[in-house]
Amino acid sequence: MNPLIFTTILMTVLLGTMIVMMSSHWLMIWIGFEMNLLAIIPILMKKYNPRTMEASTKYFLTQATASMLLMMAIIINLMHSGQWTITKVFNPTASIIMTSALAMKLGLTPFHFWVPEVTQGISLTSGLILLTWQKLAPMSILYQISPSINLNILLTMAVLSILVGGWGGLNQTQLRKIMAYSSIAHMGWMTAVLVYNPTLTMLNMLIYIMMTLTMFMLFIHSSSTTTLSLSHTWNKTPLITTLILITLLSMGGLPPLSGFMPKWMIIQELTKNSSIILPTLMAIMALLNLYFYMRLTYSTSLTMFPSTNNMKMKWQFETKRITLLPPLIVMSSLLLPLTPMLSILD
Amino acid sequence: MLKIIIPTIMLMPLTWLSKKNMIWINTTTYSLLISLISLSLLNQPSNNSLNFSLMFFSDPLSAPLLVLTTWLLPLMLMASQHHLSKEPLIRKKLYITMLTMLQTFLIMTFTATELISFYILFEATLVPTLIIITRWGNQTERLNAGLYFLFYTLMGSLPLLVALISIQNLTGSLNFLLIQYWNQALPNSWSNIFLWLACMMAFMVKMPLYGLHLWLPKAHVEAPIAGSMVLAAILLKLGGYGMLRITTMLNPQTSFMAYPFLMLSLWGMIMTSSICLRQTDLKSLIAYSSVSHMALVIVAVLIQTPWSYMGATALMIAHGLTSSMLFCLANSNYERTHSRTMILARGLQTLLPLMAAWWLLASLTNLALPPSINLIGELFVVMSSFSWSNITIILMGANITITALYSLYMLITTQRGKYTHHINSIKPSFTRENALMALHMTPLLLLSLNPKIILGFTY
Repeated sequence: MNPLIFTTILMTVLLGTMIVMMSSHWLMIWIGFEMNLLAIIPILMKKYNPRTMEASTKYFLTQATASMLLMMAIIINLMHSGQWTITKVFNPTASIIMTSALAMKLGLTPFHFWVPEVTQGISLTSGLILLTWQKLAPMSILYQISPSINLNILLTMAVLSILVGGWGGLNQTQLRKIMAYSSIAHMGWMTAVLVYNPTLTMLNMLIYIMMTLTMFMLFIHSSSTTTLSLSHTWNKTPLITTLILITLLSMGGLPPLSGFMPKWMIIQELTKNSSIILPTLMAIMALLNLYFYMRLTYSTSLTMFPSTNNMKMKWQFETKRITLLPPLIVMSSLLLPLTPMLSILD
Repeated sequence: MLKIIIPTIMLMPLTWLSKKNMIWINTTTYSLLISLISLSLLNQPSNNSLNFSLMFFSDPLSAPLLVLTTWLLPLMLMASQHHLSKEPLIRKKLYITMLTMLQTFLIMTFTATELISFYILFEATLVPTLIIITRWGNQTERLNAGLYFLFYTLMGSLPLLVALISIQNLTGSLNFLLIQYWNQALPNSWSNIFLWLACMMAFMVKMPLYGLHLWLPKAHVEAPIAGSMVLAAILLKLGGYGMLRITTMLNPQTSFMAYPFLMLSLWGMIMTSSICLRQTDLKSLIAYSSVSHMALVIVAVLIQTPWSYMGATALMIAHGLTSSMLFCLANSNYERTHSRTMILARGLQTLLPLMAAWWLLASLTNLALPPSINLIGELFVVMSSFSWSNITIILMGANITITALYSLYMLITTQRGKYTHHINSIKPSFTRENALMALHMTPLLLLSLNPKIILGFTY
């Protein structure tokens, strides 16, 4: 794609999300969502083949439906409160519809079906933008309306997402689908604590974005989209296998890596609010996620996976530029000792 | 406490910056020095703890375990030299780094005051152990072993996290120094029963309790020698240590909640000892013997009398040294024949007489021969369980007999009789191996002269 056009489109995506995050008028928020959606379609379709066309179409249809549901909720809110300012939502029906619309945008169960298929159909870099940047806008709206969200619906969606994210990823060998199911599960964790302490949602979002960025950067570096091709990295760059190990263990939520911090804080917040069975269930379901991450580490880092002799003598092309990989690795694995710093967030 | 933790952390740059011919020398020497520093902790002036700061403390229970941990690192390094000799330099350094990382986490776990910090470090010890087992193990079953190890422990410990956080919400602080003075009885309710279960299951899985022990034979057998040593000697004791600490908070539910686990342990120790008589795999035999000894510790901790605590602490230290020594002996067999089958290498006394002496001593301490500290531990546990209920003497007596049976079976099969003809060309014992066995045995024999230091905080 022409670099100038690509930059313009990327800036439009950024602008759309910024408009969503910074507006106080519901119409502007909807406009921001639509701008974001329209601009990201060409990015999803960077490679022009039927697979990406199908993925972009699925993405467009689900996101457009969600925007329309959001618009309906906004209008019902307008009818009942007479104003367009984004504060709490004044009508329970509007709140439910809005929560469902935003869940559809995020990919929470039962609206999660588009995430694996869309992520699989697009290139790794587009998948990266889809799973990290695109989550910011809906999450910021959920943050702002969090006082008026129906607790039952949100918690049900959250727990079901953790379940689906865990079980759905078990049978996958395609890395993009694994990252998609991981995204569904993490979104579940984030929305579970939204009603109790939205700051922790933002913390989880931050750490999740860092870890997903790191994972995608590592995948892009080794140009691998399946478990099999990832298992060949020990032939070319053994260091990447160690980094994949650390980042995957961090995503699984193992102490002492920083992926444990959001889980710990969320469990703490939920137990402070007297729900004990729920965080226990959530924590145990997260072990399903850990299982397929461990399977990935087994094929990549912890064994020298059997490969044909051709793989051992691959062409050494010019290394792709991976932006900011060392700081990302450090942040996605070593942040746990900084947990006491979170007290400044009060 | 930093005088132990910081040198251990600095062992990592030491490994990475050493020259190729100096890595083993440097790391072994400096880790021996660090273990000498930790010996000063054994001077516990009173029954209260030595509080180094708000975050680290050591009391008569954790000091011997700490000394055992630091003593074991040079031994692990010595034991691993042979099987890593053919690996590239970077992989050797990675292995030593994993061992050092594990050591750091273990030291911090045994001295942590804040129970959540204890939990995080308890979980953190899983990661280097998993990497050691799956990356440097020798058979394909090691992958399954790593998964079983990781998931059994995690399933048990996630409820512990939730339980610790809810206790913190109830009582305001989880600092152990406060809790030991501030204990109130837990009111009797269903949720407190689940709280008891949540707190104890993590340590039950780690010990392991008889019904949840499936991970242990797999992990011990598939791990390389350093992994087996640290698993048997220290990681199992983490479970015992955790139980000893957390039962102070869990009265009075323990009086009735402990029954199922007591039954499982009492029955399990007989079962696992009996299975040892039918094992063909040498490491598997030692692994099941570990389960049996740890079942005694579980019984002791759940009975909660002063003598049983003394027995539990002494048994943990004694079993740590003995089990680690048995694994080293089994490994010396494995390095020569590349097989763990017991009957494949028989009659070793004829070929390696000095090693036979070490085999004899190790088997004798395993069956708790007087006056070794193994006997002191087992005897105190048997006596206190007899006072708890007279019938347990039958099971305990049967267990001691069967333990003697399989220890002697192992000794006689490997050492006595005519040697198998295909092993008459094995290499003689290295000085390194003899030094290793001596370093295991000397603390065991010396401690029998003054067992007061390992008898824990109820002495």
